[in-house]
Amino acid sequence: MLRGPALLLVLRRAARGGPAHGRHCRRQQKREQSSGSGSGSGSGSGSGSGSARPQPLEPSLLRFLVCPLSKRPLRYEEATNELINEELGIAYPIIDGIPNMVPEAARRTHKKPPAEGSEHS
Amino acid sequence: LWLWRCRCRALLSRPAGAPRARRGLAAGPEMHFGFQTVTEEERREKIYQVFENVAKKYDVMNDSMTLGIHRVWKDILMHKMNPCPGTLLLDVAGGTGDIAFRFINYVRSVQQRQLQRKLKHHQNLSWQEIFESYQKDKFNSLGDSQVVVCDINREMLKVGKQKAQHLGYSEGLSWVLGNAEELPFDDDKFDVYTIAFGIRNVTRIDLALQEAYRVLKPGGRFLCLEFSHVSNPLLSRLYDLYSFQVIPVLGEVIAGDWKSYQYLVESIRQFPPQEELKAMIEDAGFFKVDYENLNFGIVAIHSGFKL
Repeated sequence: MLRGPALLLVLRRAARGGPAHGRHCRRQQKREQSSGSGSGSGSGSGSGSGSARPQPLEPSLLRFLVCPLSKRPLRYEEATNELINEELGIAYPIIDGIPNMVPEAARRTHKKPPAEGSEHS
Repeated sequence: LWLWRCRCRALLSRPAGAPRARRGLAAGPEMHFGFQTVTEEERREKIYQVFENVAKKYDVMNDSMTLGIHRVWKDILMHKMNPCPGTLLLDVAGGTGDIAFRFINYVRSVQQRQLQRKLKHHQNLSWQEIFESYQKDKFNSLGDSQVVVCDINREMLKVGKQKAQHLGYSEGLSWVLGNAEELPFDDDKFDVYTIAFGIRNVTRIDLALQEAYRVLKPGGRFLCLEFSHVSNPLLSRLYDLYSFQVIPVLGEVIAGDWKSYQYLVESIRQFPPQEELKAMIEDAGFFKVDYENLNFGIVAIHSGFKL
């Protein structure tokens, strides 16, 4: 599965068509993974400290939130409690009611690969 | 004592440093973390850890380090902003919510005063009308004002959210985890953008300023409250003495974390002075950029408008 800096590289290229800055996010990605939040695990269940179900997002926030990479609107997916960017095929988790809008935390939503056409999935 | 002398010497004979690095532009991979030289990646990592460690004791430390004066500084910032009901505020690096809560209080009191003034002018209201006006007030105590708190550190946001629950703030307040250099907000959305004691920790200040410009509405205001440089030489010596001798010790005693507070005082020294920051803000496209020194330059409020 495409992960880490490679993932970010592809996403940023798809978002802006310019050079990617994925490399410097490698450590943050590792830390995000090791702390059990965000990428890979999808919804907030991994880091929830005893809460039965993930807290929903404040509805007024949806007016402002866009994908930090492409600045395009997001779709709120209630089932997995994520904010999904259809174009880039990524999902940002919402943990404890706080949306995690850093690109390193985004998860690939196995729908379709971004335009750059990577063979990994 | 020898250690102190070494540190003071390091402070006094501060290297000229790569000016581009000081201005927050990555001049190659070398950047400063306090007085150390690190790569951009390491800097982000270290700063994240600093705030992860201090999050729970952040407010206590603020009070003890500044002897409570930080509250006054933040109040002054709020008065300078003078928001009216209906204002949309984005508070970046707002972790524990100090600015956000002050904003809500301010707007609520302005709304109350407006309501009272309105009632005073309508002297012959019937009881029904008075009742209705209070009804409206209940649903609209903030007058549609909203504040979004954005921070890159999850621990700080958690502390902030708990504080909000504890103090009873719920309406008009939202929390987002995001990077100041890459904000997850659409263009031309916010009336005011504030960053209080946060821009010092941003690795690419120029990007953060550009993002600030992007998300502000035309006519929107940029406000930055940050530690700055003291020009008065005597005061500067006293301030240095206090910073390097007292603050890390307080950090160790109260938060059990010497190094984070050592980083704090060092990062204040490395941060660009008032005029330089003003130039950077102008570079990002802001107009009518100005700054106000508080406490002889220990803290400065920079302000700019998107016109």
